[in-house]
Amino acid sequence: MAVSLCTRFLGREFSSPLVLPAGILGMSYGSLQFAHDAGFGLVTSKSLSLEPRKGHEGPVVARFGGGILNSLGLCNPGIDAGLKEIEEFSCMVKAPVMVSLFATNRHDFEELAGRASDSAAVFIELNLSCPNVMDEFGIPLASSKELVADMVEGAVKYAKLPVVAKLSPNALDLPVIALAAQEAGAAAVSMINTLGPGLLIDTAVRKPVLAPRYGGISGPAVLPLALKLVHECVGRIKIPIIGMGGVSSADEAVQMLMAGASMVGVGSAVWLEGAQVLTRMNAGIRDYLERENFVSPDFIPKLERKNV
Amino acid sequence: MSDRVTLKIKRIVDEGPSAASLYFDSDMKVLPGQFVMLTDYEEGERPFSVADADGSGICLTIKRMGPFSKRICSKKAGDLISLRGPFGNPFTLVSGVSLLVGGGAGIAPLYLLARGLIASGNRVIVVNGARTQDALLLGAWFGRLDADYRETAEDTGEKLSSVQLAARILEREKVGCVYAAGPELMMAALKDILPDIPYQFSFERYMKCGVGVCGSCACDPSGIRVCVEGPVFGREQIEKLSDFGVYKRDSTGARVPFRK
Repeated sequence: MAVSLCTRFLGREFSSPLVLPAGILGMSYGSLQFAHDAGFGLVTSKSLSLEPRKGHEGPVVARFGGGILNSLGLCNPGIDAGLKEIEEFSCMVKAPVMVSLFATNRHDFEELAGRASDSAAVFIELNLSCPNVMDEFGIPLASSKELVADMVEGAVKYAKLPVVAKLSPNALDLPVIALAAQEAGAAAVSMINTLGPGLLIDTAVRKPVLAPRYGGISGPAVLPLALKLVHECVGRIKIPIIGMGGVSSADEAVQMLMAGASMVGVGSAVWLEGAQVLTRMNAGIRDYLERENFVSPDFIPKLERKNV
Repeated sequence: MSDRVTLKIKRIVDEGPSAASLYFDSDMKVLPGQFVMLTDYEEGERPFSVADADGSGICLTIKRMGPFSKRICSKKAGDLISLRGPFGNPFTLVSGVSLLVGGGAGIAPLYLLARGLIASGNRVIVVNGARTQDALLLGAWFGRLDADYRETAEDTGEKLSSVQLAARILEREKVGCVYAAGPELMMAALKDILPDIPYQFSFERYMKCGVGVCGSCACDPSGIRVCVEGPVFGREQIEKLSDFGVYKRDSTGARVPFRK
């Protein structure tokens, strides 16, 4: 049977269900191009803020048995320069970009969403959950349904593009937050952002490995949690989900689709497995579709809720 | 499963007034051109090319530039330094007459390369260049190798730049491959004078993660990453770059033009 990786999401078609999540690569038009060439169907920019940000001093990444700890600190060239990079990427290649936006209050999200709407991006993603900046900005927005609703509502009001709300696994009741995002006008949600944050220690110097002390946890260790949370949310909301968290193989991507996601983010695996992992994953998903007689990823059956 | 080793400095040796070499006992397997990410957990983490490695020890030669490198160069034997790596794509050893061109601290990774090329039976010509005489590094190291070693400083003697000296050598030697490391503008000028022969340049750009995820060191337009596909790029890759010798990116990702 002729199968295709072509995936439908929010009224558009993508060449693969695999999504480059915000924060991995995506800093410049070159790095968006790199991710596109690697095999992502949709690429997301670095989270852009109103002003440029240098991010944290290193070390900002560390490995452990279950994956990665990171605290890059939301480095980005600012909304104006960032949108120019997206523009330049879109001029080179006809491939869709999601622009990720990062702010700490509704007013800034409104401003960013308005500016991002006049760009080459096809979707806007709101980064509501980065734990790297908890020290600076207090409780993450994504942990409160009122705050999520407020940010999403503001962005949607000024956005001319579909708005995707990126949610954090650190919320006590994630389906309630997802529902709040939907009711505030989000076209989709993406989940999960990094877990934690967590701590790793260098025992020789007796200091935290990461310079900012704590970092978001990602990689294989968070996969089962991501699958469970996606599955939990999909039964409660009507809008589609971009599922991510520790996915690093074709089988795990299929698991994420089966759990209820419409597209699948792959982040930490770009480090742990190398960028070639995307080629292997696309080929593996195609093999699965052929073996199981599904025309495209859209036809992969969702796990029934009663089976849980 | 940690990817880092924290080691005591075995020995630290001043290399003239402008640099120091740090020696560690380590079985780290390093290929010429590869780098490590180094931190002392005081402030920041930076990439450094490995100057020498033999399976039981490694040596990093670090130039005193900003606060970070000055602090590292002032460490004492016994102080702890934490390393991740080795990372990156190494130099590929090509048979034939090899011309190695180093500018400033760029000479460091060329030492390990020269040892490798000589061990595999190649004639090696080394051009070591710096702005000033006292910034020339590792002359004594190269002097002990079976290599044709030349050095030039822009404030001494004929006042040639490394590129000018390389051009003279290329006029009379049939060079098989040119290897360079140093300031990007030096390498861009070198590229302009090279005949139609293979070359490999080691890039130095702002790096944050060192492992290919943050995107800080991606080159335009293809996004090849200095930390993974580089730091050593070959002629085919370099000819396709639009930013080589034109601009780099800072820690925010903003473009910073090179000052000619």
